[in-house]
Amino acid sequence: MANFSNNTRFNSHISRTFNRELEDLRNAVLVMGGEIEVQYQDALEALLQHDIKLAEKVILNDVKINAMEVEIDSECLRILAIRNPTASDLRLVMTVSKMVIELERMGDEIEKIAQFVNSTEFVYSDELKLGITHMAQDVQTILRDTFNAFARQDLKTTMNIFALERLVDEKYNELRLQLEQEIQQNVQHIHYWLDVNTLIRSFERIADRCVNLCEYLVYLAGGKDLRHNSGKKIQKKIQALIKS
Amino acid sequence: MVKLFKSTKPALKKLTAEDISVEISDLSVYFGKKSVLRDISMVIPKHRITSFIGQSGCGKTTLISSMNRMNDLNKNHRCTGSITIDGQNIHSKKINVAKLRTQVGMVFQAPNPFPMSIYDNVAFGLRLQKQIPRRQLDEAVERALKNAVLWDEVKDQLFASASILSGGQQQRLMIARALALKPKILLLDEPTSALDPLATLHIEELMQTLKKNTTIVMITHNMQQAARLSDYTAFFHQGELVEYADSDKLFTQPKHKQTEDYITGRYG
Repeated sequence: MANFSNNTRFNSHISRTFNRELEDLRNAVLVMGGEIEVQYQDALEALLQHDIKLAEKVILNDVKINAMEVEIDSECLRILAIRNPTASDLRLVMTVSKMVIELERMGDEIEKIAQFVNSTEFVYSDELKLGITHMAQDVQTILRDTFNAFARQDLKTTMNIFALERLVDEKYNELRLQLEQEIQQNVQHIHYWLDVNTLIRSFERIADRCVNLCEYLVYLAGGKDLRHNSGKKIQKKIQALIKS
Repeated sequence: MVKLFKSTKPALKKLTAEDISVEISDLSVYFGKKSVLRDISMVIPKHRITSFIGQSGCGKTTLISSMNRMNDLNKNHRCTGSITIDGQNIHSKKINVAKLRTQVGMVFQAPNPFPMSIYDNVAFGLRLQKQIPRRQLDEAVERALKNAVLWDEVKDQLFASASILSGGQQQRLMIARALALKPKILLLDEPTSALDPLATLHIEELMQTLKKNTTIVMITHNMQQAARLSDYTAFFHQGELVEYADSDKLFTQPKHKQTEDYITGRYG
């Protein structure tokens, strides 16, 4: 675990150029993550304030996120071809290559939230609106903590994220039930309800993707693959990594 | 559960006696007062490629030279511990060292053909062993050159001087010379370090073919070569065995920090 907790690990190669390349790669993911955070913040504000201009800005900005994915991925390929990285260096490059896919798809989900603002008038109840707001705020916390965990190389935070994501899942299921009730009361707006369903699904998917990012972080730290593991197993493996 | 990428090699810990070609126990080697290897214990799996990696001077060459007692040629050499090949301690008084060296062949970094024909280079070891009828010798030379994937390139000039061959061809000739004696084990000390990428690929392909019948131990400073070619890799540092594992594991998730630092090019 010393590898991961020590921030200077990617800085200690004999080749200074290689140090710089890995640092730049890591920083590029942080920049992309920062951009996603801003996009999310704007999309959420546009949703809550019904700010169509801000929603349009979010939709236009998604192009930036897409371009970042392509650029970072091509840098990963270049490093793989030129440096033939091994061990933790290889894990970093592979992790970054997978992370940018998740980040780009998060960008797409955020874009869907903005499109909802652009295309729909709010007709849902205050109760449903409040539920969505609460879930959106939890997702924002997960998003912020995920990027902080990557920036600070902090495994403990990832454990909280796994727990918080389960809460978001519960809230999502509650919202779906609530949505069903509202649909029954107001059947004539079925297209609108489908959009609301997509909206809450987008928030839930962003939280899911944060969990995927955390799994990659754990893999980066100690080579442990957490994908498709149960919550208990994940906790156990992370605790073992923190101790080692 | 369906396994899409099934590994055909056993884990080092699960090797049975039949899987083991060489067993090294508590081996320490000294040259005069200098301790070159300390308490090395490891097994070399049969019909696999095992790579030794580590900085220059860490004892890799000393270790492979111990396997066919080449170190005996140095008068200051002394060793403790044991090396067992196919159940026989090679330091036993019963061992015929010349015979041992035919069974444990060695190829060095720079090709060193004798100043004689291609044919005579390959036949050299066989002629030293015993008198062989010409036809048998021809067959043995042809077989060795074919096994070294050199036959097609030299079959029309067998009696030309070996010095006309390219570096890559000369190195394959050296492998043919060792193979002519049908060794059980082939020790390769940086076999491709002096070769261009294409010649290197020829040797690597050859090694993959040879391992079906021969145990191969290779020293290399090329991490990618060790990773792509060898089944198992051992990392040595200052005369000690730091880590020995399945190559896939060692190059993706090394256990020891020293190994990680070495293979990733960090300050040791």
